[in-house]
Amino acid sequence: MTELLTLGAVAYSPAVVGVWEGMKEYFADSDAPFDFVLYSNYGRLVDALRKGEVDIAWNTNLAYVRAMLQTDNGCRALAMRDIDTVYSTVFVSAAGSGRTGPGAVAGRRLALGSADSAHAAILPLHYLQQAGVDLDTITVIRFNSDLGKHGDTGRSEIDALEAVIAGEADVAAIGISTWEKIGEGDFLPGAVEKVWQTPDYSHCAFTVLSSSPPELTAAWTRHLMAMNPSDPEQRRIMTLEGVKDHWATPALDGYQSLFTAVERQGIDPTW
Amino acid sequence: MILDLIRAVDTLAAGERHTVAVANDSERELVRRWSEATGNTLVPESVSAKSERTATIIRGRLRDPATVLGAEKMPGTRLWIYTNFTCNLACDYCCVGSGPKVDPRELGAERILPIVRDAAAWGVQELYLTGGEPFLLPYLGSMVVDCAEHLPVVILTNGMLFRGAGLKQLQAMPRDRVAMQISIDSPTSLIHDRHRGLGSWQRAIAGVATAKSEGFRVRVAATVGGEDGVDAVELQTFFDELSIDRADQIIRPVAREGASLEGVLLTTDTLIPEVTVTAQGVYWHPVAATDPDALVTSQIEPISEALDKVRDLFAEQWHTSATKVSAFTCA
Repeated sequence: MTELLTLGAVAYSPAVVGVWEGMKEYFADSDAPFDFVLYSNYGRLVDALRKGEVDIAWNTNLAYVRAMLQTDNGCRALAMRDIDTVYSTVFVSAAGSGRTGPGAVAGRRLALGSADSAHAAILPLHYLQQAGVDLDTITVIRFNSDLGKHGDTGRSEIDALEAVIAGEADVAAIGISTWEKIGEGDFLPGAVEKVWQTPDYSHCAFTVLSSSPPELTAAWTRHLMAMNPSDPEQRRIMTLEGVKDHWATPALDGYQSLFTAVERQGIDPTW
Repeated sequence: MILDLIRAVDTLAAGERHTVAVANDSERELVRRWSEATGNTLVPESVSAKSERTATIIRGRLRDPATVLGAEKMPGTRLWIYTNFTCNLACDYCCVGSGPKVDPRELGAERILPIVRDAAAWGVQELYLTGGEPFLLPYLGSMVVDCAEHLPVVILTNGMLFRGAGLKQLQAMPRDRVAMQISIDSPTSLIHDRHRGLGSWQRAIAGVATAKSEGFRVRVAATVGGEDGVDAVELQTFFDELSIDRADQIIRPVAREGASLEGVLLTTDTLIPEVTVTAQGVYWHPVAATDPDALVTSQIEPISEALDKVRDLFAEQWHTSATKVSAFTCA
């Protein structure tokens, strides 16, 4: 009998159940079938990975970084969505503001998402600083709407956007996924415009302990990579999880900025 | 509105719905574009309440019906043809009210053959010939030989006419392309004969034996009513004893159609279509082949247009009630 792997993920939305049920079904006849366990937050998921309670964790970028820091780099990433290899943060302002570039954020009221959202809180500040913006000139307005979920719900970014539209903030930092969800502004006609976009970085990744049996994780990864967007049912699951076209090999260099940001901003690596 | 929509849809499970008010057509168009761009599904205007100025969004893409139902259940995979409505029996629950004295409503071989040829070209994969009793037709044997050149054929019969001319017709048919589906409602004659007529059970059993001895694949179909108290397990055991493969044993409830005033109420809203041709037109399902509400079109030829129409109507039905449609097994 093929050994059943356990995959851990965070239940940030009811739709997650459909994603993992679909993935489980797709993997059922493979050489690496799995069952899944859902956690209420990424802190618990990383704990479970570290303790070996789950074999594979579907981690956000911050969860990946924390897992690495907590295990003395004793984890490895198996795969990520295509969108995770080229993730970025978009700074938006009210339409007609004429603000462009990172310097336009200096001295402004900046709406950020939940404090544990790498894309809507941690990395925006990191990249602004890297671009030479004095963070002390910025008034940060935080929307900690989905703490523990690492910004997965997108709720805190919508709150930040609404603050900009309402004139309560000058600029909002949102993930590229949320930016695309509003059609790069097209779905909010006359409401917002892009100020600046950070360089690409990596986001979510399937993560295992380095001690995981390589042949089993390789079989699992092979089957994941074989998901076919031409198959309507596989496409449905991929779309629901945010995959555009394919699963991708991990872009590990894309985590460097977050490792640096976590260190410089003093973000707790253990939670 | 879009930000509210994002908030609401993000809290839904896959397949759940959310309805928003839309002020005008341009807002509806905005919701449509947003749904498309974000991998969600806007319920088509024709089935949502446009007059109420709302738009309904389903979280995620709909499950592919071929995955949920199985490719073999997709509309147009099978074509049903009522060759005639006359029958040597007058079963009290017949879903189309067939009997010895009804209007025959024969389609005739000269119409059936082009329909079958065109259906095969469209993509139909299996042909079901039913009635009435097809073996009452003197040209059945030669017609089935011709049909079988285009599609594998299943003939639904009471199995009582496999002697004399009927046996010769049977013997003319190609074994590798033709199967018999014989109706047997109970493991003993009592219930079967109560509905179908005295002695019909014994002759049906003999028909199974004849068809098998002639080298045909034989399927058996039972129509069971709640009051008859037929035990499904007992029936299955009986079919096993007749050496009928489990996959070829069909047990279904009585439908409230035709001569039957009782049984399962079926509507086109909740029934997965099985394209059915009668002399009157193309119907949604063989169990409702005399039901005016189930008439898709009275224009039979070209059959490809009717098949297209049913496929499109089913796509809309799937949107409307993906979780509600059901299959009624006739074969």
